[in-house]
Amino acid sequence: MVNGLNLAFQFLDSFAFVVLAAAGLAIIFGIMGVINLAHGEFILVGAYATTFAVTAAGLPLPVAMVVGSLVTALFGIAVERTIISGFVPNWIGQRTVGRDLIEPLYDRLADSMVATFGLSLVMVQSARILFGNSIETVGTPFGNVAYGEFSYSTYRLVLAGVSILVLVAAYYVFTRTTFGTRVRATMADEQTAKALGVDTERTYMLTFGIGSGLAGLTGALFAPVLSMQPTLGDQFLIEAFVAVVVGGPSVVLGTALSGGVLGAVSATVTNLTDSTTFGRIALLLAAMLALRFLPGGITGFIERVRSRRQEGE
Amino acid sequence: MAAESATGADRGALARIRGRLEGPNTVGNSTGFWIGFAVAVLALVAYPLVGNGESFSLFLVLALLGLSLSLVWGYSGVLSFGQVVFFGVGGYTFGVVSINLPDPTGITAAALTGVVVGGITAALLGYFMFYGGVRDVYVTIITLVSTMVLQTFMAQTAGSEWTIGEAALGGFNGMPAIPLLELGITGVVSYQFVFNTLELFVPGLGTVEVDPFYYLALAALVAAYLGLRVLVNSDFGRVMVAVREDQDRTQMFGYDVKRVKLLTFTVGGALAALSGVLYAARNVYIDPQVFALWFATLPVIWVSVGGRKSLLGAVIATIGIEYFRLSVQGEMALVVLGALLLVFILALPGGIVPWIAGKISGSAVPVSELDDADAPAEVSES
Amino acid sequence: MSSEAERSEASGQASGETASSEPERSEGSKNASGTDTTMDPNVRETPAGKATGDRTDTLLQTDDLVKRFGGFTATDSVDFSVDEGELRCLIGPNGAGKSTLLKLIVGTLEPSGGRIYYDGQEITDMEPNERVRSGISMKFQVPSVYGELSVRENARLPVQQLADGAERRRRVDEAIENAGLAGYEDVQASALSHGQQQQLEIGMAASLDPDLLLLDEPVAGLSVDERTEIAERIRRLNREEGIAFIVIEHDTDFVGEIADSVTVLHRGDVFREGSIEEIESDPEVRRIYLGGEQ
Repeated sequence: MVNGLNLAFQFLDSFAFVVLAAAGLAIIFGIMGVINLAHGEFILVGAYATTFAVTAAGLPLPVAMVVGSLVTALFGIAVERTIISGFVPNWIGQRTVGRDLIEPLYDRLADSMVATFGLSLVMVQSARILFGNSIETVGTPFGNVAYGEFSYSTYRLVLAGVSILVLVAAYYVFTRTTFGTRVRATMADEQTAKALGVDTERTYMLTFGIGSGLAGLTGALFAPVLSMQPTLGDQFLIEAFVAVVVGGPSVVLGTALSGGVLGAVSATVTNLTDSTTFGRIALLLAAMLALRFLPGGITGFIERVRSRRQEGE
Repeated sequence: MAAESATGADRGALARIRGRLEGPNTVGNSTGFWIGFAVAVLALVAYPLVGNGESFSLFLVLALLGLSLSLVWGYSGVLSFGQVVFFGVGGYTFGVVSINLPDPTGITAAALTGVVVGGITAALLGYFMFYGGVRDVYVTIITLVSTMVLQTFMAQTAGSEWTIGEAALGGFNGMPAIPLLELGITGVVSYQFVFNTLELFVPGLGTVEVDPFYYLALAALVAAYLGLRVLVNSDFGRVMVAVREDQDRTQMFGYDVKRVKLLTFTVGGALAALSGVLYAARNVYIDPQVFALWFATLPVIWVSVGGRKSLLGAVIATIGIEYFRLSVQGEMALVVLGALLLVFILALPGGIVPWIAGKISGSAVPVSELDDADAPAEVSES
Repeated sequence: MSSEAERSEASGQASGETASSEPERSEGSKNASGTDTTMDPNVRETPAGKATGDRTDTLLQTDDLVKRFGGFTATDSVDFSVDEGELRCLIGPNGAGKSTLLKLIVGTLEPSGGRIYYDGQEITDMEPNERVRSGISMKFQVPSVYGELSVRENARLPVQQLADGAERRRRVDEAIENAGLAGYEDVQASALSHGQQQQLEIGMAASLDPDLLLLDEPVAGLSVDERTEIAERIRRLNREEGIAFIVIEHDTDFVGEIADSVTVLHRGDVFREGSIEEIESDPEVRRIYLGGEQ
């Protein structure tokens, strides 16, 4: 019974971690075809901004988290305008040498990986130069829940709850709002969307901003439980990456399902081997197998099964 | 016409060699290039006399790693973050075997084993991916994930149970006390390359002491570079390029694309493993940092800046960037590196060397006819 | 006059007057993969051009071939066959499934049901590159030459696995010349005009010495002169090399110039088959084009 509870908590932990890590990345990858290897560093921005908001500006934690997310979102928009779409450099280029200087990174998967990795290097090192090797942390709120001889941080339960909220909110935005419709139209067929009057440039910019904001939110949420170092983004990156790709084309459902599956694998192995390291390894191996055997990701697989079912006998 | 005189026959042989080394798939196909190449090699040979050969040899070793990615990415279109996996596997294998067999024969065998095991690892991963129909960006992601798996795994091999024979894997702290690289056959002939000095008599400078490992690494690099040039300009090399350009179309010409990718990936893996073996031998130490994400991305940086479709670009960029990174102390180096990468991939996605080569020559015509290295060549200057 | 006679003769039997020699190459059924288990011992495996004037052999046959995409049936239990040396045109309204059928034959699409036989051997599960080595070659709808490579490098790629040295150079030069691109050897393929790219790609597909050449809209977007050139090329390849063709085209004049026989596809199945005159005068065919009931 106790072990079952342990397992349940480990699962919630893994699930929340994967979903929150992946949310922002999934949106950017799914919609813009850009792989943001600086995603971990966006989380860093959110975490640091939140921490500073508390330690330097004395804001209460929830407010600080909002601040952290917003800062990251704005930063993301700045990045989008300069590096991803090349808007600013090209604007400069048009006025100086009369031509575009760079091409947008949309749908250039390999190039976007390399470029954003460069960005992440700059960000991590800048953080180290500006703020040193670590900064003062924010304490974990809420205390613990006790059961048997174990106790579990209540805050981590909160995180699990928030991760579900994020999924629900994303689903709502995608399917129920005008903005969401525009986004899905652009995702499906950019040319047609443009022809129908959708400002695809602005959609991309806002989407990247939202994805960055979500990354910032993740950083903000995890700030109380992590050690604040410039490299804190690393632990999120691979899991996020893997969850996005294993999830497949459907942004919300894919993230939810891969969070569930990968979280379950990780939690089970962690429970059995008593080692989070092996849990992590198991998660990564499971992801490799998923990529090999389910080339469209989980939701891609579901779609294929559904269409095959449609074909009838 | 190919001349009938004796010099014509010599020219024929030289032209044949050049014919193998040249082609549309590499930059530098003129006599001018080869002269410049010879000068550069000579300069590298002379370098230890004026500079620090001991530290420079690291860049030569890493250039092999860069070459391996150039082969795999630039020439068959597989963006692999996993070259460091084979690098690390090669290094660790060398360490394990040589610690257990610390005599020259054993160490030589260890070096060979390292390369072979690295190649086999690449073959297995390649088979898993390519024959499983995994495509494009998913291949890249799998290679990235495999790097992470190895890093996570090796970092926790700290306990004493993680020992192979006499060699403890050492977990996060790595595997120290790797035997000094002494190659040869025990009791017959052997030479120690690491932590040894070679005395050379240089006319004009007298007797100089140099680091023999430097020359070992240089020889390996030059051999690998020339060998790869032959490979990519061969028939197989042309198929590799076709696969890179349009793998579906290439399959429709009767080529087994999966096999081409697997072979290229395996050769690339073996080359990366060779680099790893030399790396471990040079440092007499290896640790899981070789599997870290930032290190896995370094080859991508080198090759992106140098020009992924250019072997020469990979070599020059690796040496240049690493020299810069390790000589400029402090965190600013990485900031500059990251910014460099950003600027390059956005402004010059093809890389430096092809851009320069394009500016210099327009397009230099290779010595022999483009078709066939075996044909009697018209030696023409571009 | 004489072309009519030539064409009916060619369609009636594999022409014995083929002069060109077949190169050294692994023959159809003992292909690169080396497996031979599905060979039907009752069917002679005579590649086109080598038969000595006997009855025509069926080169390609599909048996109840089906392809579905989700709920949509693109290929509906198709029984389709082509003889050695036959020049067949495949026509039909948009969406009839013509390209799909060709892709099933060459192997870039996997069937949902049914079988395909080529040269007496079942190839339903064979990889595309193995089918190509067995003698099927295809030019796709969208011209896909290697844009970054020169014309010569493009032409060399299919040929280099068939020949070496002087023979290789001869074939490359021949392919380039037949495509009308002599003098363009070092031009980057992406710099060629659309028509030139089509010619190059047809040449590349033909240089594999196939027995069956599939062309998906070879003259789309070409001028009248260019169309005539290509029609001539196709007829020549058919006559001199004995290559069988399946050509998808919408231009009825073009079809009339080259076809031995015509298959009309409609809604994924064979609607009519016959000579071009029979098809042209068939009111049912006209109706499906104009969108009447099925």
